Amino acid sequence: MKIWSNKEKMSRDELRELQFKRLKKTLHHVYENVPYYHEKFKMAGVKPVDIRTLEDLRLLPLTTKEDLRKNYPFGLFAVPKNKIVRYHASSGTTGKPTVVGYTKHDMKVWREVIARIVTMGGVTNKDTAQITFGFGLFTGAFGLQQGLEKVGAGVIPMSAGNTQKQIMIMQDFQSTVLIGTPSYALHLAEAAQEMGIDPKKELFLKYGLFGGEGSTEEMRAKLNEAWGIISTENYGMSELIGPGVSGECQAFKGMHINEDHFIAEIIDPETLEVLPEGSIGELVITPITKEGLPLIRYRTKDITRLDTTPCDCGRTSARMAKITGRTDDMLIIGGVNVFPSQIEGVLLGIKGIGSNYQIRVLKKGYLDRIEIDVEVVNQDLLVSVTLLDQLYKEIESKLHTILGIHAGIHLVEPKSLIRSEGKAKRVIDLRSENL
Amino acid sequence: MLINQLSVFIENKKGHLSKITKVLKDAQVDIRAISVFDSAEFGILRIVVDKPELGAEALKNAGHVVKQSYVLAVDPSDKVGSLHDVFALLSDNNVNIEYVYSFVMPNNQGAPLIILKADDQEKAIALLTASDFSLIPKEAVYNVQKY
Repeated sequence: MKIWSNKEKMSRDELRELQFKRLKKTLHHVYENVPYYHEKFKMAGVKPVDIRTLEDLRLLPLTTKEDLRKNYPFGLFAVPKNKIVRYHASSGTTGKPTVVGYTKHDMKVWREVIARIVTMGGVTNKDTAQITFGFGLFTGAFGLQQGLEKVGAGVIPMSAGNTQKQIMIMQDFQSTVLIGTPSYALHLAEAAQEMGIDPKKELFLKYGLFGGEGSTEEMRAKLNEAWGIISTENYGMSELIGPGVSGECQAFKGMHINEDHFIAEIIDPETLEVLPEGSIGELVITPITKEGLPLIRYRTKDITRLDTTPCDCGRTSARMAKITGRTDDMLIIGGVNVFPSQIEGVLLGIKGIGSNYQIRVLKKGYLDRIEIDVEVVNQDLLVSVTLLDQLYKEIESKLHTILGIHAGIHLVEPKSLIRSEGKAKRVIDLRSENL
Repeated sequence: MLINQLSVFIENKKGHLSKITKVLKDAQVDIRAISVFDSAEFGILRIVVDKPELGAEALKNAGHVVKQSYVLAVDPSDKVGSLHDVFALLSDNNVNIEYVYSFVMPNNQGAPLIILKADDQEKAIALLTASDFSLIPKEAVYNVQKY
């Protein structure tokens, strides 16, 4: 199986040397061009010159989504705005999204890392890839599209939803690669069967490249069986670049991190100390080739572990295990990141409802669904059902604006929601564990 | 002439109505008239009771959202077209009816009465008083006395 770049086969020593060189350059870049980092480094008592080895990286302060929020929208950008050629955004923890920007150089890096990942997944210039991620502010769809085109594959930018049309195009255009979230891919397979189409006989799919949400080996087995494909998973987040941080090869022994572009560390989320290789902890990533938004030691809040033992595929890069959880309360709903704090922010801004709410996440078929119970407290709404209806619609539309997804709203009586001792149980995730 | 009505928020789920009637029963509050319409998820239960203050208090204490408001009780007299005459009188005079439900009082020879909420209650009272229709005073509804 082809390996896209020789960089993926560098010796560990060569790689570390390159990482250090690029890290130094990035540190100088942020220190000189991002006042917030300059100040942050100063507070921590470090300067870029103090970083003398790769291990010294741990002397630098960590970056979180909170830092991005405080600097909304462009405060952490390290280049003037006119150097930015692309913007994307993802969920913030409150009403404002997390904004990211790419220079021409960053776009080139992004195409390169995606090209590697789709190659790992089996894609070549003979393939036709159907992208079912939404094209928009989220990085998933655009990221994959550019890298696929770099490899020479044909791209069908279907975007999300419109299930029956997806199947029709898949059949008529003879798509060979399916790109999207694993849960939507399972939903599509079911839809194809309902339309009387046997995915294995009447469709042409060979590979599935999935991301945007976590998955399990059971899910992979189900996807491979339903479509007759070879599925791989890939990982990324917009703050770091979007998809392209890491991806699985055909050895299925974890996701290869593009280490010449990203330095990975595993920390203890409590003590924030760096853990030895092989430990399970929170993934921290430092992009070392980015110009527009170079974040230093970004806390992904994703829990995984790293493995640098040689891989059967010939790549020398470290592999990260499937994400097993989060160190914060972020929910992933059909590939969209949702923070309970965003929901709370919306609800608290609406008159007539209580401060108590409950979020339930469930599966409807293979698709995630979020339902929110909201307590009606204002007696003046009881003048007419129309007022209650208006409240209902107001909540629904405001949540849609902020979250980008539809939530099912249930108006309930006050005090009918479970109040646990001390900390309120705000989120109940009912998605079955076995998928 | 205005009668006190309780409006209670209800969810469309099993046992919700009986929860409310249990509260009223325990408080020794008697229901005179009741109305609830089918709804997908939630709705409003409207009741007229003999002791509105006590009923509202009991429901509030039990954690329900309750609003007190005023409605009219009308005796349209039990004959063909009489209800139409009430509605026509109001509509001809530009009074809009928001909702209406009916009830029976035992000492009224079983003839149905209606509870009515108009957008302009004062005007509705004036119109009905000037007509042949009887507006039933609140004491009569609360105490089930002959009027």
